[in-house]
Formats: sequence, C-alpha cells, structure tokens
Amino acid sequence: MAAPTTEPPAGSPASSAPWRRITSLEVLCAVLVLALLAQAALIQVLDIPAVRTGATVFVAVCVQAMPFLVLGVLVSGLIAAFVSPLALRRVLPATTAAAVPVAGFAGMALPGCECASVPVSRRLMQQGVPPAAALAFLLAAPAVNPVVLVATAVAFPDEPRMVAARFLGSMATALVMGWLWARFGRPEWIAQRALRQAERPPGHSAWVVFTDTARHDLVSSGGFLVVGGLTAAALNVLVPASWMASLAGQVLLGIFVMALLAVVLALCSEADAFVAASLSAVPLVPRLVFLVVGPAVDIKLIALQAGAFGRGFASRFAPVTFVVAVGCAVLAGVLVLGGLR
Amino acid sequence: MKRETQNVLLLLLGGALCKIAWNGSYLRYVKPSVLPFLVAAGAVILALGLISIGRDVLAGRSAPDQHDHAGRSPWLLVLPVLAIFLVAPPALGADTVSRSARTLAPRQPAIGFPALPAGPAPALPMSDFVTRAVWDDAGSVNGRQVRLIGFIVHGSQDITYLGRLVISCCAADATPVKVRLEGRRGLEYLPQDSWYEMRGQVVPGSARPDTRFTPTLTVSDLHPIPIPREPYEY
Repeated sequence: MAAPTTEPPAGSPASSAPWRRITSLEVLCAVLVLALLAQAALIQVLDIPAVRTGATVFVAVCVQAMPFLVLGVLVSGLIAAFVSPLALRRVLPATTAAAVPVAGFAGMALPGCECASVPVSRRLMQQGVPPAAALAFLLAAPAVNPVVLVATAVAFPDEPRMVAARFLGSMATALVMGWLWARFGRPEWIAQRALRQAERPPGHSAWVVFTDTARHDLVSSGGFLVVGGLTAAALNVLVPASWMASLAGQVLLGIFVMALLAVVLALCSEADAFVAASLSAVPLVPRLVFLVVGPAVDIKLIALQAGAFGRGFASRFAPVTFVVAVGCAVLAGVLVLGGLR
Repeated sequence: MKRETQNVLLLLLGGALCKIAWNGSYLRYVKPSVLPFLVAAGAVILALGLISIGRDVLAGRSAPDQHDHAGRSPWLLVLPVLAIFLVAPPALGADTVSRSARTLAPRQPAIGFPALPAGPAPALPMSDFVTRAVWDDAGSVNGRQVRLIGFIVHGSQDITYLGRLVISCCAADATPVKVRLEGRRGLEYLPQDSWYEMRGQVVPGSARPDTRFTPTLTVSDLHPIPIPREPYEY
C-alpha cells in the first residue's frame, strides 16, 4: 500500500472531463471556500439544541480517538518498515490454531482503544500473519490491555471480580473468533487491498516506508473514524433515554439492551467502564456484556473494519462477533460473578 | 483523492488538533489529561503531511500521478476540520442533562466524608455535593451554606435545576448531576444553559429514591458567571 502506484485514479471527481481535469485539490479548495461563506448558516443550525449536542459529541469522539489512531498508524508503519514477514513467522507458532492465542495475548501489549488496533492488525495480515491470528489480536488488544483493566478496576471499586470477568469474556471472544475464522473463514471475504503485501520499492529506505505507510493508514482509517463518530453522535442524541430506566432488575432484557447500547454508543474502551458503573440500576451481568461487546463490535469499529478489510468482511464478521461476545460475556459473568445477577 | 490533497488535509487536521489544544477549547470535548496526547497526535499528523509534501517537492513533478487506493473515505476528514475551525461546537449543556435518564448514581464511599472546608460558604464540586447529600449520614452539608457552579436546566413542571456534567474520558460519556433550586422568586426565568454560581443550603433528606437522588438547594444568593475554562467535572 505504501508503494507509489500508477493505477488510474479511483475516486477523483470529474476525472473524465475531456478538456482539463479538475483535481481533488481544487475540489477541496472549493469546499473550504463554500464552508467559509456558509459559516453563518452553519452556526445558525447549531441553535437547535439536539444538533448542538450531536456536533459536540461528534467532535469529542474524533478528538478523543485521534491520538489512539495516530498511535495505531505509527505502530503499523513500524511493522511495515522494520518487521520482516520472516521474523513474524518465526515468532508465531506454525499452526494457525496455536497462533491465535499467542496473538490474543500479544494484544495485551498495545495500550490503546479499538481505533489503534485496526490498522495494526491489517498490517500484521499484510506481513503474512494468518488472518485468524491477526483478528484475534484485533479483538483482544482494545479490551484486555492494562490501561483498560485498571480503568475497570477503578470504576468498580466494590466489584473487583468485574476485572477478571471482563478479561475472561473479552479474551474468550477474541480466541473463539480467531478459531472460528481459522475453521470457517475464507480469504476472499477480506478485500484484496487489505492482504496485498506491502512491497518495498527498490531504493526506498525503511524511513520512507515508515512515514509513507503511517501517512496512508492515517488518511484512509481517519475517514472511517469520522463515519463512526458521526453515527455515534446521531445515536447519542436519538436513542431514547427511557431504555435505561426500564432495565432495573431485568437480567435477560438488560443483556439484550446493553449489548445493543454498546454497539450504538461506540464509547472508547477506556471510558466504557465508568459509564457501565454509573448505570447502577442495571444488574451486573448486563453491564459486563456492555464492557465485553463494546471493544469488540461497535459502530465506529464496524466503519473502521469496513474501511480496512472491505464491506464484505465487516458484514460477516461484526454480527458473528456480536453473538460470540454476548455469549462469552454471559458465560464469564456466570462463572466469575457467580450467577446471573 | 490525490496525494497532494491528502497532505493538505493532514495539515488541516493536525492544525485543528493543535488549535484546540492551544486555545484550551479541547476541554469542551475531552478531559485535561488528554492534552499531551492531543498535542503529540497533532504534531505527528502535521509532520507526516509536511514530510510527504517535502518528499513530493524534492521528487519533482512525478508526484501528481501518484494515487492512493484510499478511495473516497479521506474526504470525510474535512468534517472534523470544518467543525473545529468554523463551528467550534460548545460544551454540552442543559440539552444533555434533560435528554439523559442517567444521573450520576452517587456511590457510597468506602471511608467516611472529610469535613467540609472551613469558611462561611465553601465552594464544592456539584458531584461532591450530591454524593454528600445522598450518602453522608453525618450530614456534613446539612445546615451549611455552600457555593455551587453549574448551568441552568429547566425541567418539567416549572422545576429549575442547576446542572453539571461529569465526564470520565470524553464528552460522549458525559453523565449529568443536578440539584433542584428553590427559595428564590424568578428562578424559572433564568435563561437555560446560562452559568451561575449559587449560594445556598441543602434541604436535609431531599435526596431520596423518589426524587431520583436529586437534592434540593435553598438558594440564598446567585450571580451569573462566565463559562468556566473547564466546563465539566471529572
């Protein structure tokens, strides 16, 4: 991906104009000028309270996620530039089934949220890591890293077992999904562009590969992060608040609603424990489901995955992950927290 | 989208992050401890854009023919850039408080409450005040004048609240705290979302399950204040 290519332009508007191409740079300038001219109108729209709330949440999600995304693309660039496929193959066990848990536990080393793990796991795939193992890493990294576990412990001072339950549920989700992919997954579900090996063009130093890969990943995943932020902001405003109030004492309904909420709210995995803790009327197991589902599948993540691996992948992977995550969370809750409560 | 355009977008995006970090408006969106990461992210984005531009310039005119496979998604990066530079959405306020059924369910602290600061009317964070009103059996806020800072929220049935939002990571996870205001005429005419410092005294026993643990404050004095630099509590 980092290699300069000579393919025809994919997305530039009006590229078919016979006389002279309007380049995307000119389009961008036009957009900026138009936006400047319309600034007064834009600000007027913000007089509507719901729009104002949505706009703030949108910017907040983007601003909060951007440092993690940058961390992710830097790690991705480092892997592309300095970690050869051969070295990765030597570290990982030869059989995919054994590589999945290794990759899952390796996820503990990336202290970021889900935005960081998508570019990294795609890069791992491009460097020849089996997709099943890279996907286990993708699901494990945002959920079981030390920062998230400490945040969970801080948010639930009265329920120390919540940390163990979350670790167990999330790790189980990652491993089960990895093994499921190893058994049933087909390579053609992943978009070709995601698997194409990054070839280092002759004469390019590792530094050039590093900066070019990071830049490219940032531009492409950044756009999808924005999709996720927009959706999260809209749902933040649109999801009726009465959902929460009706959940007191309802374990089964609670599991269902909290799982859906985890998907639509798209909270950062380092913050979701505090939100779950504040929902004190909801039983514990549904709140655990919220914590396990959120980092594995949410609106922002689905958008990022569709961008990195293609829509065909996201439309299959996300629903299965949702079901597996709910199952693993309930199981972990029953085992660790002692029953459905 | 052409490489050049992507680079310009990166400069804009990095610039936007640096701008909100510089002028302090990032506090409308995230908590203060994010600042170093925000600056670092903005600097890295700017650097990636500049390095790429520099390389293209040095490579001469071959660059414009290079196209990435990124498709159209990078165009969406224009949205946060425009939102930050042109609109600069304000901090969340009364709309979020009335929209959310969640209120900060104050947790009983493992240890007792420290005594209130000395002085005639100590300033308390709203969340601290509500927690004390709900849980403190020793009644450390009862019979004491306190000062609270928040914004006006008009609820149903002409009830006026002082509201504040508590965030743990970013504004998307904001949880409201509120205090019901009583004891002064004209509270219902205060403009929604305007910031006030309220001085008053809690009505003992007013934070009950049937009031959804919202204490009542008998207001003795109030005056408008500008929006604080840190609009949220943490």
